[in-house]
Amino acid sequence: MEFTFEKGRIRFDRELSELDVFVRKFVDALDACGIRYVVISGYVPILFGRSRETEDVDLFIERTSQEKFTELWNRLSADFECINAANASEAFAEYLSNDTALRFAYSGSFIPNMEVKFPKRDLDRYTLDNRVEVILNGRSLFISTLELQIAYKLFLGSEKDLEDALYLWLLFKEHLDVETLKRHAVQLNVSEKLRDLK
Amino acid sequence: MTDLPHVDLAELNADKEENIRQRREFIRKYVEWLKKTPNAVWSAQQNRMLSKPKAKA
Repeated sequence: MEFTFEKGRIRFDRELSELDVFVRKFVDALDACGIRYVVISGYVPILFGRSRETEDVDLFIERTSQEKFTELWNRLSADFECINAANASEAFAEYLSNDTALRFAYSGSFIPNMEVKFPKRDLDRYTLDNRVEVILNGRSLFISTLELQIAYKLFLGSEKDLEDALYLWLLFKEHLDVETLKRHAVQLNVSEKLRDLK
Repeated sequence: MTDLPHVDLAELNADKEENIRQRREFIRKYVEWLKKTPNAVWSAQQNRMLSKPKAKA
């Protein structure tokens, strides 16, 4: 695997999958509307080659005005439809503003879908504020820090999550801020699981 | 009513743990391979896996 890893930025090139194109189209709409986002969870290890599939791609978007969200909704409508809300005002008022995720899929499809939430907890806001830029084939995509991603996967604790954590650790361990990873692990009470990874 | 098969939970749990161990061993091997493999090669393999035809339910 060839990549460059600097603080806050990972750059690499590779063949894109249909899932990558799906994510790309979605974040292009966010970028066009000037809405900050961070992709978290299962897509992150897949982005870096993990050999598994996923039904949904989770991301936080910054809290925006209803006007800006409506602009996003209209832009997304070219390729996507929302699975669980009928229109932009319902989506904003009854879902996002109540900390309930919206799910967007290609029109007429259910999977894969983008699971979109506003940051709710301090941890969510930290995730957005400390996002890492991945430059894939010359295009930017923003993901959670790998240190937090690994600790959070350990916290979630399903076998799939533990495997994702192991995968990211093995792939990037020479590049990680181990002290920060340990601090996340202490906060999330997964220090023992982190030691098991090593 | 059909009799249910005998279940040895200790044996099933041991098998489950062994399966977890083997899957994690696979991930270790996979990452070792990935690290020394050009992006064009591993991403083409991953893409074939992600894009494979799905069986109908």
